[in-house]
Amino acid sequence: MAALAEPAVNLWSPSDKLSPRIRRLRDEYFSYSERDYFQNEVMSFTTGQPWDVVYSEHTWGVAPEVFPFMDAFKASLLVDAQTVPLNPEFWREPTIIRRALFFKEVAEKYLPVQVLEGELIAGGQFNTASSRTLTKKEARKFKKMEKRYVQTLKELDALGYGNAGATPGHLIPDYPTVLKIGFKGLQQRFESLLTQAVSKSHRDFLQALIICTEVPRTLAGRYAQKLRELSQRESEPGRKRELLQMAEICARVPWEPARGYWEALQSLWFTHMLVMAAESYPGPGLSYGRFDQFLYPYFEQDLKSGIIDRDFAKEILESFFIKNNYVYDFQGRVGNNQGINSSFGQLITLSGMGPRGEDLTNDFTYLCLDVIEEINLLEPKPNVRLHKNTPGQLLRRVVEIVSRAQGAPFLINFDEISMRALEWIGLPKDKLWDYAPVGCLENTLQGNDRSGTVDVNINLAKAVELVLFNGQDQATGKQVGPRTGDPLQFKTFEDFFQAYQKQTLHVMEKLIGLYNLSDEIRARYEPVPYLSTLVRGCEASGKDVTQGGPEYNFITMEGAALATTVDSLLAVKKLIFEEKKVGMSELIQAIKANYEGYDLLRQRLTHKAPKYGNDDPSSDELARRVSQFWSQAVTRYTSPFTGRRYRAGYLSWNYWIAYAPKTAATPDGRKRGTFLSNGVCPVNGADRHGPTAVINSVGNLNLATIPNGSSHTLSLSPSLARGKEHQEKLMGLLRANIEHGSSALQINIIDPETLKKAQQNPDEYRNLLVRVTGYNAYFVTLGKEIQDEIIARESHRV
Amino acid sequence: MNPGNLEPCVSGSSESGIVFSIQKFSTEDGPGIRTTVFLKGCPLRCPWCHNPESLSREPELVWYSQRCLGDGACQKACPEKALSRAKSGIIINRKRCNNCGICVEECPAGALEILGKKVSVPEIMTEVLKDSRYYEKSGGGVTFSGGEPTLQNEFLLELLKASRAAGLHTALDTCGQCRPEILAALLPEVDLVLFDLKTLDRDALKQATGGQLDLILDNLRLVDSRDKPIWVRVPVIPGHTDSPANIEAIARFIGSELRQVERLDLLAFSNLCIAKYEQLGMDFSLKGALLFTEEEMLDLRRIAVSAGVNNVVISGPMRVSGETNAK
Ligand code: SF4
Ligand code: SF4
Repeated sequence: MAALAEPAVNLWSPSDKLSPRIRRLRDEYFSYSERDYFQNEVMSFTTGQPWDVVYSEHTWGVAPEVFPFMDAFKASLLVDAQTVPLNPEFWREPTIIRRALFFKEVAEKYLPVQVLEGELIAGGQFNTASSRTLTKKEARKFKKMEKRYVQTLKELDALGYGNAGATPGHLIPDYPTVLKIGFKGLQQRFESLLTQAVSKSHRDFLQALIICTEVPRTLAGRYAQKLRELSQRESEPGRKRELLQMAEICARVPWEPARGYWEALQSLWFTHMLVMAAESYPGPGLSYGRFDQFLYPYFEQDLKSGIIDRDFAKEILESFFIKNNYVYDFQGRVGNNQGINSSFGQLITLSGMGPRGEDLTNDFTYLCLDVIEEINLLEPKPNVRLHKNTPGQLLRRVVEIVSRAQGAPFLINFDEISMRALEWIGLPKDKLWDYAPVGCLENTLQGNDRSGTVDVNINLAKAVELVLFNGQDQATGKQVGPRTGDPLQFKTFEDFFQAYQKQTLHVMEKLIGLYNLSDEIRARYEPVPYLSTLVRGCEASGKDVTQGGPEYNFITMEGAALATTVDSLLAVKKLIFEEKKVGMSELIQAIKANYEGYDLLRQRLTHKAPKYGNDDPSSDELARRVSQFWSQAVTRYTSPFTGRRYRAGYLSWNYWIAYAPKTAATPDGRKRGTFLSNGVCPVNGADRHGPTAVINSVGNLNLATIPNGSSHTLSLSPSLARGKEHQEKLMGLLRANIEHGSSALQINIIDPETLKKAQQNPDEYRNLLVRVTGYNAYFVTLGKEIQDEIIARESHRV
Repeated sequence: MNPGNLEPCVSGSSESGIVFSIQKFSTEDGPGIRTTVFLKGCPLRCPWCHNPESLSREPELVWYSQRCLGDGACQKACPEKALSRAKSGIIINRKRCNNCGICVEECPAGALEILGKKVSVPEIMTEVLKDSRYYEKSGGGVTFSGGEPTLQNEFLLELLKASRAAGLHTALDTCGQCRPEILAALLPEVDLVLFDLKTLDRDALKQATGGQLDLILDNLRLVDSRDKPIWVRVPVIPGHTDSPANIEAIARFIGSELRQVERLDLLAFSNLCIAKYEQLGMDFSLKGALLFTEEEMLDLRRIAVSAGVNNVVISGPMRVSGETNAK
């Protein structure tokens, strides 16, 4: 075996507690270029028809940084695709069955089967770009719609309105049911439904599901075979035994119910990786839900009966964790990229409350936390649910992990705040205790909810620009929005605010129109029957997961630039309308000039206007008004083809950067190009009264109208988290956020010196993880701009 | 200046006082998450003071060079002609300036600020109570510091009472240089006393700070006798209070004479305040002094522990041995 490159610097490395086996597997993952024998690169598969489609743009519609490459991806994936021979009957089947059959062919005959040295969980090459199996006629319609979609997408993106696209992943499949009854049990369920289904389309759909339930069985069987061969060749008796045992496990699960802990994790991994294969996208936000809850019975039972010991249970879990990182293996090849796409957000949720508000932390929760801390990897991403009855022991452990600059990145979710907003949007109150976040912090129900949690992204600050220029885009001078009046004629701030509301609705409706199109394309032409086997509601409704089949269906519009918008409105209100220190025409001139030659005015706007994030009641009131306005308005829309309803969230992903150059200078003194604000965070540097004031301001937004969750990132210097005494203070801070604050919080503790060193010597810090906003990334893979931004943010706090 | 002056502030009253800062998420002034209210004015003149803006009993205008644009709007606006411009920046003629705040309003860049505002008890309490949730969850509360807060004793008493009435844990940070009867009147409203003790060398104390050791120690004994928990805080200052003998003497004094001391804090000398001195046009005599290394601080801690105090906590910026000061 090739020598594996050791990370050059020990900082940010895993703990020494890792076993040699796990350490080796972890290093192997990081040594992409040395690992030519095993990579999870995209494999494309076609029906061989000249009109075939293996890549759809709307899948990547929310990732503006890939727009320039989409045509190339599309073409090269098709050229490189392996042709899967199909018999002529195939083309007589309905779309849903064709999709199932094609998936089955690929998984049974084409997905490579390899097992790595020492690993305890099998399965690793699943990254596909699979044919949409369209007929010629369908393909023509598909391409026509897709063309219209791409055109509108690029338009709205270029204007800085935002983006939208039917993003895959971002849901929590019903994994616990697979563990309990296996795909065998699912198949029986679908077969019995088949006897009752009246419509042909329902019967076709159930047939497709039944076909898909066979796929994991066959693929696992191929792994079992491979493991048996390896065991025969293996001379080391311990490993030989392991390989045999793994072969037995793979021969059973995920087809059969899992009988124990090891089977459960193996079953889970096969089931999960096949969702990514089926959706043909490397699993963004495909999340596990309450991991420590549904695995605990298996863990406890095996530990009690002595089938496994704690150390071995830990190694199996670590092996499982490492698997999750191969999902975005292709980034090893892409190397240092300029965008943020370093984290795929396979979220595991830990702890949280039970139906009566009781705490559900268990022994396995703590084992997971140990592994998270010791293995220090990007995936799977942990999110710990806290609530009123969270025990001190857990909270202390959480704070310890957060506090160590070395610790793995970590999200914290707050149950009461999350549940209040889920109730507001109409989810059943008695089920809310069992919610879980997906991706980063997007709250959904588990196993029955397709909530498209990052499918539409709106730049809330664009509407401010449109008001100032009476509906014109400042850069191009094009009349894009409604004419809301010449701002010079506005008499009061209310006039201004009403214009802002109209422009916001305009931007919102444009994006909704765009999304509705992609939602329809996906629903018509890209069903994912395998995933539909794993989302409750589909089988009974006879509709695919993409078609509104699940019990709950929402589309989320994520708001970016909230604080930039609020601070802009505050500056207009105070300096123009209240104090009359600044004239509207002067402001408009200055913004046109991007504040060149208007430095005094810019300074005044920056320093003499109130800012959101300081626990100042009148500023926070306006912030709440902005937030409530758009988040309530968006719930009035549904996507006509699937009936899915819109709802709001605050996860700005990287749009606060992407839309910065596309948003004119803003009245808060920001120049075009300077980053917009992120999530529910204040504008960088605008908060002057420390973390308690910021958390209070965030809480004052009343996030009950934000069901999808709200992202708040807090940066603290390491000195504030060092030692037991300070850690206890942080525990207090978290306990307070349980009552009043965002639904999700991320605490960064990194000193700027470390970051500067990493920027200069990226090779020495290649596994330095930072928390950007609701997600994590390897610092050295981020663009310089973002790096500088993070450094500035950290320095600001010290 | 009148070091050692025990006269309560003339500008003070029970309804309002001069406060120069309210710090939220204060983690260094007592247990839990706290808000620290800094009252202006101090009877001592410690050369290492890291809040030089707290010394004077009156509001003071400050100018921040980094923010200044040099446009001169402030000069034009000042009715007293108290501002002028030199190469080094804006010069404030403190004899002329009456702290009216007009220039602060006019400055577009936030480069001028009046430190010390006259504020009322309800105004302070509104700010303090915003963080009640944090105090409750972390076992924190409100700390009154300075300056020397007892200088504004009537105002302070009202603040303490209002805090108590709101159910807050109250801490008083004092240097002990105050009339015992004033302290005695405040103590019933105080839950914890943070008592700054510099040195037990009577002459050195007098000379460096103007403080009277006997008065200070009497006050410390007084607090102890009222059964108030005490955290003794010793600023460890190069050439002034950092001798092992001094630390040992303080620890022995605590061990032998006091019953209520819960912990002894050794606060390592910090030079982060240099900029503040510059802004106020004051000289910082310890400009060149090195920070302590962690080993040095640990040594002092050991000395204090072996002299009879169990809970000794070291904090403050520390240097890695071998390095000179980081910037
Ligand atoms: S505070 Fe008033 S008097 Fe003092 S410098 Fe400013 S404007 Fe002049
Ligand atoms: S008004 Fe402010 S920025 Fe302008 S010169 Fe005076 S202090 Fe400097």
